Amino acid sequence: MLPHLDAAYRFARWLSRSGDADDIVQEAILRAFRGFDALRGSDVKAWLLTIVKNCHLTALQQQRRHASVPLPEEHDVQDGRAMIATTPDPESASIRRDEKRTLDRLMSGLPEEHREVLVLRELEEMDYREIAAVTNVPIGTVMSRLARARAALKTRWLKEAEGAPNAVR
Amino acid sequence: MQCAESLRVQAYFDGELDALSAADIERHSETCAECRALLHDLGYVRAALRQDLTYASAPPPALRARILRALDEESSVKGPLRNAARLSGWRPRPFWVGAFSGIGSAAIAAIAFFVLAPPLINPVLDELVSAHVRSLMPDHLIDVVSTDKHTVKPWFAGHTDVSPVVADFDQQGYRLVGGRADYFDRQRAAVVVYRHGSHVINVFSWASDQRSVPENTTRNGYHLAFWKSGNLVYCAVSDTAWDELLGLVRLLQDVSTHDAR
Repeated sequence: MLPHLDAAYRFARWLSRSGDADDIVQEAILRAFRGFDALRGSDVKAWLLTIVKNCHLTALQQQRRHASVPLPEEHDVQDGRAMIATTPDPESASIRRDEKRTLDRLMSGLPEEHREVLVLRELEEMDYREIAAVTNVPIGTVMSRLARARAALKTRWLKEAEGAPNAVR
Repeated sequence: MQCAESLRVQAYFDGELDALSAADIERHSETCAECRALLHDLGYVRAALRQDLTYASAPPPALRARILRALDEESSVKGPLRNAARLSGWRPRPFWVGAFSGIGSAAIAAIAFFVLAPPLINPVLDELVSAHVRSLMPDHLIDVVSTDKHTVKPWFAGHTDVSPVVADFDQQGYRLVGGRADYFDRQRAAVVVYRHGSHVINVFSWASDQRSVPENTTRNGYHLAFWKSGNLVYCAVSDTAWDELLGLVRLLQDVSTHDAR
């Protein structure tokens, strides 16, 4: 059920990098439900992700206004650890798992506009036009942002590999 | 120093270029080492992100359940307008309320239908237009050349997953010119090709379990007319006028009805 829920969740999670993602996704899906009549013929996924993005921005504004620190939920603590941990567990860590962790961490360190285009393009496999719609920027900007985001991720990866040859191989 | 073509190379990598520009870039990267390296890097980053990103792969089951309950609650409230306070003040109800709420279940079914069905259909629209355009390129239009329906129809049996209606309507101005196998919606679809004046009309057909068909629409200047017969979905695509396209649709529907008797 709700196949776009996965996409909405991934996108929200990578945008907010926190447990707020759950609330953002729920809010977005409810808004989508109410506004569904307004949608005719265009791409539902891009439309839903646009709503996710708007909900994320609204949540950010509210946070700034109230300057409140959201209480982390249980799985977020684990995620947080996974993001910070770089030392492989000598017992069980395979190089593969370590690479995954490293990539999550590197990706998480990118600026939001870079994470955003990378998730939409590489994970959600959206085309430039759809990405432009979701991020609300011209296609030319999508192209240059995407190029910068990819280059930035590669640079960080290379730096990581130099800095910790054992960890990344 | 970055090669001036780097953005176009990226667009090529992302499948955003038309065939001509793509060929251009392929030729360019044969001679430009920098762009070859860029293509390699782009492939590497993509593979890494698709395989190795674990952070947010799937929503926790609890979230899914929570959202379904919220939708359930939402839809059991009568009237289209609900204020924002309600939304932010959302509280989970006992599970059984959602589980046994008939109205809620119906609404969830509606969501399942509307939110779930279009994504299955929309990529198909693009695929249909692409397939139609592809067919207009040299030597792509027809696999089996024949104006005889008794030649075209059996040919499909061996080359596609479906056996569509095939008929010649030369008298009415729609000349059967052949058939073609095409691959989309994860199956081998049958395409019957007609000529109407100077226009080509591709009639796609594929099996689908969905009860509804997409609404007739126009994409990139091509008209798409849909109908269903049995479990086969048909789509006639052409740049001819709507009236003329629908003329062929009516003729084909008549044949289907006649066959079914």
